Amino acid sequence: MNRDEAKEILLPYRQGTNDADDPQVAGALMFAKNDPELGRWLEEHCARQDVLRGKFRQIPVPDGLMQQIISEHAAAKRAGFFKKNRALVALAGAMVVLLAAFFYWQQQPREDATLADYQSQMSLMMSTGYGMDLATNDDSSIRNFLRQKNAPSDFVLTGPLKQATLTGCAVETWQDKKVSLVCFHTGSTGDAASSDTWLFVVKRKVVRDAPDGDTPQISHVNRLTLATWTVGDKLYLLGRVGNEADVKKYL
Amino acid sequence: MADSPDFDSLVADYYRPLYQFAVTLTRDEADACDLTQQTFYIWASKGHQLREKSKVKTWLFTTLHREFLGSRRRQNRFPHFEVESIATELPTVPPPTVNQLDSGHLLAALAQLDELYQAPVTLFYLQDYSYNEIAEILEVPVGTVKSRLARGIGRLHDLLTAINPKPPNT
Repeated sequence: MNRDEAKEILLPYRQGTNDADDPQVAGALMFAKNDPELGRWLEEHCARQDVLRGKFRQIPVPDGLMQQIISEHAAAKRAGFFKKNRALVALAGAMVVLLAAFFYWQQQPREDATLADYQSQMSLMMSTGYGMDLATNDDSSIRNFLRQKNAPSDFVLTGPLKQATLTGCAVETWQDKKVSLVCFHTGSTGDAASSDTWLFVVKRKVVRDAPDGDTPQISHVNRLTLATWTVGDKLYLLGRVGNEADVKKYL
Repeated sequence: MADSPDFDSLVADYYRPLYQFAVTLTRDEADACDLTQQTFYIWASKGHQLREKSKVKTWLFTTLHREFLGSRRRQNRFPHFEVESIATELPTVPPPTVNQLDSGHLLAALAQLDELYQAPVTLFYLQDYSYNEIAEILEVPVGTVKSRLARGIGRLHDLLTAINPKPPNT
Protein backbone atom coordinates (compact mmCIF):
# COMPACT_ATOMS: atom_id res chain seq x y z
CA MET A 1 0.00 0.00 0.00
CA ASN A 2 1.31 3.45 -0.87
CA ARG A 3 0.23 6.83 0.46
CA ASP A 4 -2.27 7.59 -2.31
CA GLU A 5 -3.90 4.20 -1.95
CA ALA A 6 -4.13 4.71 1.80
CA LYS A 7 -5.74 8.14 1.29
CA GLU A 8 -8.24 6.66 -1.09
CA ILE A 9 -9.20 4.03 1.46
CA LEU A 10 -9.37 6.57 4.27
CA LEU A 11 -11.61 9.04 2.46
CA PRO A 12 -14.76 7.30 3.74
CA TYR A 13 -13.37 6.96 7.26
CA ARG A 14 -15.11 8.48 10.28
CA GLN A 15 -13.63 8.62 13.73
CA GLY A 16 -15.79 7.22 16.49
CA THR A 17 -17.57 4.73 14.24
CA ASN A 18 -16.87 1.10 13.45
CA ASP A 19 -15.27 2.04 10.12
CA ALA A 20 -11.90 0.89 11.51
CA ASP A 21 -13.31 -2.65 11.75
CA ASP A 22 -12.96 -2.88 8.00
CA PRO A 23 -9.62 -4.64 7.31
CA GLN A 24 -8.70 -2.26 4.47
CA VAL A 25 -9.37 0.79 6.62
CA ALA A 26 -7.50 -0.75 9.55
CA GLY A 27 -4.54 -1.34 7.27
CA ALA A 28 -4.62 2.22 5.97
CA LEU A 29 -4.83 3.59 9.50
CA MET A 30 -1.78 1.56 10.46
CA PHE A 31 0.01 2.96 7.43
CA ALA A 32 -0.93 6.52 8.50
CA LYS A 33 0.54 5.94 11.94
CA ASN A 34 3.91 5.35 10.39
CA ASP A 35 3.67 8.11 7.76
CA PRO A 36 3.76 11.60 9.34
CA GLU A 37 2.51 13.35 6.17
CA LEU A 38 -0.40 10.96 5.78
CA GLY A 39 -1.03 11.26 9.52
CA ARG A 40 -1.41 15.04 9.25
CA TRP A 41 -3.70 14.67 6.25
CA LEU A 42 -5.80 12.15 8.15
CA GLU A 43 -6.11 14.46 11.14
CA GLU A 44 -7.36 17.32 8.96
CA HIS A 45 -9.59 14.98 7.03
CA CYS A 46 -11.22 13.66 10.21
CA ALA A 47 -11.84 17.22 11.39
CA ARG A 48 -13.56 18.00 8.09
CA GLN A 49 -15.59 14.83 8.28
CA ASP A 50 -16.83 15.77 11.75
CA VAL A 51 -17.86 19.21 10.57
CA LEU A 52 -19.61 17.81 7.54
CA ARG A 53 -21.49 15.27 9.63
CA GLY A 54 -22.76 18.15 11.74
CA LYS A 55 -23.76 20.12 8.65
CA PHE A 56 -25.77 17.25 7.24
CA ARG A 57 -27.71 16.95 10.45
CA GLN A 58 -28.49 20.67 10.32
CA ILE A 59 -30.38 20.37 7.03
CA PRO A 60 -33.63 22.12 7.95
CA VAL A 61 -36.83 20.11 8.18
CA PRO A 62 -40.16 21.85 7.44
CA ASP A 63 -42.20 22.78 10.48
CA GLY A 64 -45.27 20.67 10.92
CA LEU A 65 -44.05 17.73 8.84
CA MET A 66 -44.33 15.34 11.77
CA GLN A 67 -47.86 16.51 12.62
CA GLN A 68 -48.84 16.26 8.96
CA ILE A 69 -47.61 12.67 8.70
CA ILE A 70 -49.36 11.65 11.91
CA SER A 71 -52.64 13.39 11.15
CA GLU A 72 -52.82 12.09 7.57
CA HIS A 73 -52.08 8.61 8.84
CA ALA A 74 -54.92 8.90 11.34
CA ALA A 75 -57.26 10.12 8.60
CA ALA A 76 -56.18 7.31 6.26
CA LYS A 77 -56.70 4.81 9.06
CA ARG A 78 -60.26 6.01 9.61
CA ALA A 79 -60.98 5.98 5.90
CA GLY A 80 -59.34 2.55 5.62
CA PHE A 81 -61.51 1.18 8.39
CA PHE A 82 -64.68 2.22 6.59
CA LYS A 83 -63.33 0.98 3.28
CA LYS A 84 -62.21 -2.39 4.62
CA ASN A 85 -65.31 -2.87 6.67
CA ARG A 86 -67.79 -1.59 4.15
CA ALA A 87 -70.04 -4.62 4.68
CA LEU A 88 -69.81 -4.23 8.44
CA VAL A 89 -70.60 -0.53 8.27
CA ALA A 90 -73.53 -1.22 5.95
CA LEU A 91 -74.79 -3.91 8.30
CA ALA A 92 -74.44 -1.57 11.29
CA GLY A 93 -76.32 1.11 9.35
CA ALA A 94 -79.05 -1.34 8.48
CA MET A 95 -79.27 -2.40 12.12
CA VAL A 96 -79.65 1.21 13.20
CA VAL A 97 -82.41 1.75 10.66
CA LEU A 98 -84.15 -1.45 11.73
CA LEU A 99 -83.87 -0.58 15.40
CA ALA A 100 -85.20 2.91 14.73
CA ALA A 101 -88.08 1.42 12.75
CA PHE A 102 -88.75 -1.09 15.52
CA PHE A 103 -88.82 1.58 18.20
CA TYR A 104 -91.02 3.77 16.02
CA TRP A 105 -93.36 0.86 15.47
CA GLN A 106 -93.35 0.15 19.21
CA GLN A 107 -94.39 3.71 19.88
CA GLN A 108 -97.28 3.51 17.46
CA PRO A 109 -100.69 2.47 18.81
CA ARG A 110 -101.77 -0.96 17.66
CA GLU A 111 -104.70 -1.44 15.31
CA ASP A 112 -107.03 -2.58 18.05
CA ALA A 113 -105.90 0.10 20.51
CA THR A 114 -109.10 2.09 20.08
CA LEU A 115 -110.75 4.43 22.53
CA ALA A 116 -113.85 2.22 22.61
CA ASP A 117 -111.79 -0.80 23.63
CA TYR A 118 -109.95 1.22 26.25
CA GLN A 119 -113.21 2.52 27.71
CA SER A 120 -114.69 -0.99 27.66
CA GLN A 121 -111.70 -2.58 29.41
CA MET A 122 -111.48 0.13 32.05
CA SER A 123 -115.22 -0.09 32.67
CA LEU A 124 -114.91 -3.82 33.15
CA MET A 125 -112.19 -3.21 35.70
CA MET A 126 -114.38 -0.73 37.59
CA SER A 127 -117.32 -3.15 37.57
CA THR A 128 -115.64 -6.44 38.34
CA GLY A 129 -112.89 -5.26 40.62
CA TYR A 130 -109.19 -4.77 40.68
CA GLY A 131 -106.38 -5.12 43.18
CA MET A 132 -105.47 -1.94 44.97
CA ASP A 133 -101.67 -1.72 44.91
CA LEU A 134 -101.43 1.10 47.42
CA ALA A 135 -104.15 2.13 49.85
CA THR A 136 -103.61 5.70 50.98
CA ASN A 137 -105.27 9.08 50.92
CA ASP A 138 -101.98 10.87 50.35
CA ASP A 139 -101.55 12.34 46.87
CA SER A 140 -97.70 12.43 47.07
CA SER A 141 -97.50 8.79 48.12
CA ILE A 142 -99.67 7.81 45.18
CA ARG A 143 -97.58 9.76 42.69
CA ASN A 144 -94.31 8.39 44.10
CA PHE A 145 -95.62 4.87 43.90
CA LEU A 146 -96.76 5.28 40.32
CA ARG A 147 -93.45 6.89 39.36
CA GLN A 148 -91.54 3.97 40.79
CA LYS A 149 -93.68 1.63 38.72
CA ASN A 150 -93.03 3.70 35.59
CA ALA A 151 -96.72 4.43 35.27
CA PRO A 152 -98.05 7.95 34.51
CA SER A 153 -97.63 9.94 37.71
CA ASP A 154 -97.58 13.58 36.64
CA PHE A 155 -101.30 13.72 35.90
CA VAL A 156 -103.39 16.82 36.56
CA LEU A 157 -106.47 16.48 38.75
CA THR A 158 -109.51 18.60 38.14
CA GLY A 159 -110.49 21.01 40.90
CA PRO A 160 -113.30 18.85 42.28
CA LEU A 161 -111.14 15.75 42.24
CA LYS A 162 -108.50 17.56 44.24
CA GLN A 163 -111.13 18.02 46.91
CA ALA A 164 -112.26 14.40 46.82
CA THR A 165 -110.81 11.87 49.21
CA LEU A 166 -108.20 9.58 47.75
CA THR A 167 -108.34 5.91 48.62
CA GLY A 168 -105.32 4.59 46.77
CA CYS A 169 -103.97 3.56 43.41
CA ALA A 170 -103.09 0.64 41.19
CA VAL A 171 -101.02 0.06 38.09
CA GLU A 172 -102.87 -1.73 35.31
CA THR A 173 -101.87 -2.59 31.75
CA TRP A 174 -103.68 -2.17 28.49
CA GLN A 175 -102.13 -3.06 25.14
CA ASP A 176 -98.89 -3.72 27.05
CA LYS A 177 -98.84 -0.12 28.22
CA LYS A 178 -99.08 0.96 31.82
CA VAL A 179 -102.24 2.67 33.02
CA SER A 180 -102.39 4.53 36.33
CA LEU A 181 -105.61 3.99 38.27
CA VAL A 182 -106.34 6.57 40.97
CA CYS A 183 -109.27 5.81 43.26
CA PHE A 184 -111.50 8.23 45.14
CA HIS A 185 -114.24 8.10 47.75
CA THR A 186 -116.85 10.78 47.16
CA GLY A 187 -119.46 9.60 49.63
CA SER A 188 -121.81 7.73 47.36
CA THR A 189 -121.20 4.65 49.49
CA GLY A 190 -121.23 4.41 53.26
CA ASP A 191 -117.81 2.84 53.69
CA ALA A 192 -115.27 5.70 53.75
CA ALA A 193 -112.51 3.35 52.67
CA SER A 194 -114.33 2.11 49.60
CA SER A 195 -113.83 3.68 46.21
CA ASP A 196 -116.67 4.99 44.09
CA THR A 197 -114.91 7.13 41.51
CA TRP A 198 -111.98 6.10 39.39
CA LEU A 199 -109.54 8.04 37.25
CA PHE A 200 -107.51 6.19 34.64
CA VAL A 201 -104.47 7.92 33.16
CA VAL A 202 -102.53 6.62 30.17
CA LYS A 203 -100.24 8.13 27.56
CA ARG A 204 -102.33 9.73 24.88
CA LYS A 205 -100.44 8.19 21.97
CA VAL A 206 -101.27 4.69 23.18
CA VAL A 207 -104.88 5.13 22.08
CA ARG A 208 -105.27 5.46 18.33
CA ASP A 209 -108.35 7.67 18.34
CA ALA A 210 -107.82 9.54 21.59
CA PRO A 211 -110.03 12.65 21.62
CA ASP A 212 -108.41 15.99 20.97
CA GLY A 213 -108.65 18.73 23.54
CA ASP A 214 -109.57 18.95 27.16
CA THR A 215 -113.36 19.01 26.68
CA PRO A 216 -114.63 15.79 28.24
CA GLN A 217 -116.61 13.38 26.08
CA ILE A 218 -119.36 11.66 27.99
CA SER A 219 -120.24 8.04 27.33
CA HIS A 220 -121.98 5.19 29.10
CA VAL A 221 -121.07 1.57 29.67
CA ASN A 222 -123.74 -0.31 31.55
CA ARG A 223 -124.30 1.54 34.83
CA LEU A 224 -121.14 3.52 34.55
CA THR A 225 -120.83 6.98 33.13
CA LEU A 226 -117.45 7.89 31.68
CA ALA A 227 -115.80 11.20 30.89
CA THR A 228 -112.82 11.09 28.57
CA TRP A 229 -110.47 13.97 27.74
CA THR A 230 -106.85 14.73 27.01
CA VAL A 231 -104.45 17.21 28.54
CA GLY A 232 -100.90 17.40 27.27
CA ASP A 233 -99.62 13.92 26.50
CA LYS A 234 -102.10 12.17 28.79
CA LEU A 235 -105.51 10.64 28.20
CA TYR A 236 -107.84 10.82 31.21
CA LEU A 237 -110.83 8.62 31.79
CA LEU A 238 -113.05 9.29 34.79
CA GLY A 239 -115.77 6.82 35.67
CA ARG A 240 -118.39 6.35 38.37
CA VAL A 241 -121.78 4.82 38.80
CA GLY A 242 -124.42 7.36 38.09
CA ASN A 243 -125.65 9.70 35.44
CA GLU A 244 -123.89 12.37 33.42
CA ALA A 245 -124.51 15.04 36.02
CA ASP A 246 -122.89 12.88 38.68
CA VAL A 247 -119.72 12.64 36.63
CA LYS A 248 -119.67 16.26 35.57
CA LYS A 249 -119.55 17.31 39.22
CA TYR A 250 -115.95 16.08 39.27
CA LEU A 251 -114.78 17.64 36.05
CA MET B 1 -44.01 -8.00 14.60
CA ALA B 2 -45.43 -8.47 18.08
CA ASP B 3 -43.86 -5.43 19.71
CA SER B 4 -44.20 -3.12 16.77
CA PRO B 5 -43.34 0.46 17.73
CA ASP B 6 -46.15 2.93 18.05
CA PHE B 7 -46.63 4.81 14.77
CA ASP B 8 -46.47 8.27 16.33
CA SER B 9 -43.26 7.44 18.21
CA LEU B 10 -41.72 6.02 15.08
CA VAL B 11 -42.50 9.20 13.16
CA ALA B 12 -41.13 11.34 15.98
CA ASP B 13 -37.89 9.34 16.02
CA TYR B 14 -37.17 9.15 12.30
CA TYR B 15 -39.00 11.80 10.31
CA ARG B 16 -36.11 14.27 10.53
CA PRO B 17 -33.28 12.05 9.19
CA LEU B 18 -35.63 10.53 6.64
CA TYR B 19 -36.63 13.95 5.35
CA GLN B 20 -32.97 15.06 5.30
CA PHE B 21 -32.11 11.97 3.28
CA ALA B 22 -35.09 12.56 0.99
CA VAL B 23 -34.27 16.19 0.30
CA THR B 24 -30.73 15.32 -0.76
CA LEU B 25 -32.20 12.82 -3.21
CA THR B 26 -35.09 14.84 -4.59
CA ARG B 27 -33.57 18.33 -4.22
CA ASP B 28 -37.08 19.57 -3.66
CA GLU B 29 -38.73 20.26 -0.33
CA ALA B 30 -42.24 19.25 -1.36
CA ASP B 31 -41.05 16.06 -3.05
CA ALA B 32 -38.99 15.23 0.03
CA CYS B 33 -42.03 15.72 2.29
CA ASP B 34 -44.09 13.45 0.02
CA LEU B 35 -41.37 10.84 -0.04
CA THR B 36 -41.02 10.89 3.74
CA GLN B 37 -44.78 10.62 4.20
CA GLN B 38 -45.00 7.83 1.65
CA THR B 39 -42.33 5.91 3.55
CA PHE B 40 -44.35 6.05 6.76
CA TYR B 41 -47.49 5.18 4.83
CA ILE B 42 -45.79 2.02 3.57
CA TRP B 43 -44.61 1.26 7.08
CA ALA B 44 -48.19 1.54 8.33
CA SER B 45 -49.39 -1.01 5.79
CA LYS B 46 -46.40 -3.36 5.57
CA GLY B 47 -44.27 -2.67 8.64
CA HIS B 48 -45.86 -5.54 10.54
CA GLN B 49 -44.06 -7.93 8.19
CA LEU B 50 -40.71 -6.87 9.63
CA ARG B 51 -39.59 -9.49 12.13
CA GLU B 52 -36.56 -7.77 13.64
CA LYS B 53 -37.43 -4.67 15.58
CA SER B 54 -33.81 -3.50 15.45
CA LYS B 55 -34.09 -3.23 11.67
CA VAL B 56 -36.84 -0.62 11.68
CA LYS B 57 -34.54 2.28 10.94
CA THR B 58 -32.75 0.48 8.12
CA TRP B 59 -36.12 -0.68 6.77
CA LEU B 60 -37.37 2.92 6.66
CA PHE B 61 -34.29 4.21 4.82
CA THR B 62 -34.35 1.28 2.40
CA THR B 63 -38.02 1.88 1.69
CA LEU B 64 -37.52 5.59 1.15
CA HIS B 65 -34.67 4.93 -1.26
CA ARG B 66 -36.69 2.32 -3.16
CA GLU B 67 -39.59 4.71 -3.44
CA PHE B 68 -37.30 7.42 -4.72
CA LEU B 69 -35.83 5.10 -7.35
CA GLY B 70 -39.31 3.94 -8.28
CA SER B 71 -40.55 7.47 -8.74
CA ARG B 72 -37.50 8.34 -10.81
CA ARG B 73 -38.03 5.29 -12.97
CA ARG B 74 -41.63 6.30 -13.50
CA GLN B 75 -40.46 9.71 -14.56
CA ASN B 76 -37.99 7.97 -16.86
CA ARG B 77 -35.36 10.49 -15.98
CA PHE B 78 -32.95 8.40 -13.98
CA PRO B 79 -29.54 8.59 -15.60
CA HIS B 80 -27.02 5.80 -15.38
CA PHE B 81 -23.47 6.46 -14.31
CA GLU B 82 -20.46 4.23 -14.32
CA VAL B 83 -18.15 4.46 -11.35
CA GLU B 84 -14.87 5.85 -12.48
CA SER B 85 -11.58 5.13 -10.88
CA ILE B 86 -10.57 7.37 -8.03
CA ALA B 87 -8.43 10.28 -8.99
CA THR B 88 -5.10 10.11 -7.30
CA GLU B 89 -5.07 13.81 -6.68
CA LEU B 90 -7.19 14.08 -3.58
CA PRO B 91 -9.01 17.24 -2.54
CA THR B 92 -8.04 19.18 0.52
CA VAL B 93 -10.73 21.35 2.00
CA PRO B 94 -9.57 23.15 5.10
CA PRO B 95 -11.97 22.77 8.07
CA PRO B 96 -12.52 26.53 8.47
CA THR B 97 -13.98 26.68 4.96
CA VAL B 98 -16.31 23.81 5.70
CA ASN B 99 -17.32 25.48 8.93
CA GLN B 100 -18.58 28.53 7.04
CA LEU B 101 -20.95 26.48 4.95
CA ASP B 102 -24.62 26.45 5.69
CA SER B 103 -27.11 23.77 4.74
CA GLY B 104 -27.97 25.65 1.55
CA HIS B 105 -24.38 25.41 0.35
CA LEU B 106 -24.28 21.78 1.33
CA LEU B 107 -27.47 20.94 -0.56
CA ALA B 108 -26.23 22.92 -3.57
CA ALA B 109 -23.00 20.93 -3.59
CA LEU B 110 -24.87 17.65 -3.15
CA ALA B 111 -27.14 18.56 -6.05
CA GLN B 112 -24.08 18.73 -8.27
CA LEU B 113 -22.92 15.28 -7.23
CA ASP B 114 -23.71 12.45 -9.56
CA GLU B 115 -26.96 10.90 -8.38
CA LEU B 116 -25.21 7.61 -7.90
CA TYR B 117 -23.15 9.07 -5.07
CA GLN B 118 -25.76 11.21 -3.36
CA ALA B 119 -27.49 8.47 -1.40
CA PRO B 120 -24.40 6.73 -0.02
CA VAL B 121 -22.71 10.02 0.86
CA THR B 122 -25.82 11.32 2.62
CA LEU B 123 -26.32 8.12 4.60
CA PHE B 124 -22.63 8.14 5.44
CA TYR B 125 -22.72 11.61 6.98
CA LEU B 126 -26.30 11.79 8.17
CA GLN B 127 -26.72 8.59 10.10
CA ASP B 128 -23.23 7.19 10.67
CA TYR B 129 -24.34 4.01 8.97
CA SER B 130 -21.67 1.38 8.50
CA TYR B 131 -20.61 0.39 5.00
CA ASN B 132 -22.60 -2.83 5.38
CA GLU B 133 -25.73 -0.98 6.47
CA ILE B 134 -25.45 1.46 3.58
CA ALA B 135 -25.03 -1.51 1.26
CA GLU B 136 -28.16 -3.08 2.74
CA ILE B 137 -30.20 0.10 2.38
CA LEU B 138 -29.09 0.78 -1.18
CA GLU B 139 -29.17 -2.92 -2.06
CA VAL B 140 -25.70 -2.92 -3.60
CA PRO B 141 -22.50 -4.81 -2.68
CA VAL B 142 -20.29 -3.40 0.10
CA GLY B 143 -17.42 -2.94 -2.33
CA THR B 144 -19.62 -0.76 -4.49
CA VAL B 145 -20.59 1.30 -1.46
CA LYS B 146 -16.96 1.89 -0.55
CA SER B 147 -15.98 2.97 -4.03
CA ARG B 148 -19.02 5.21 -4.37
CA LEU B 149 -18.30 6.75 -0.99
CA ALA B 150 -14.69 7.43 -1.82
CA ARG B 151 -15.62 8.93 -5.12
CA GLY B 152 -18.60 10.85 -3.79
CA ILE B 153 -16.81 12.26 -0.75
CA GLY B 154 -13.87 13.31 -2.86
CA ARG B 155 -16.16 15.03 -5.33
CA LEU B 156 -18.18 16.67 -2.56
CA HIS B 157 -15.04 18.13 -1.03
CA ASP B 158 -14.11 19.49 -4.45
CA LEU B 159 -17.48 21.12 -4.84
CA LEU B 160 -17.44 22.60 -1.35
CA THR B 161 -14.03 24.07 -2.03
CA ALA B 162 -15.37 25.65 -5.19
CA ILE B 163 -18.34 27.19 -3.34
CA ASN B 164 -15.92 28.92 -0.93
CA PRO B 165 -18.47 31.00 1.03
CA LYS B 166 -17.55 34.38 2.37
CA PRO B 167 -16.53 34.52 5.97
CA PRO B 168 -19.42 35.66 8.17
CA ASN B 169 -17.63 38.85 9.35
CA THR B 170 -16.92 40.31 5.90
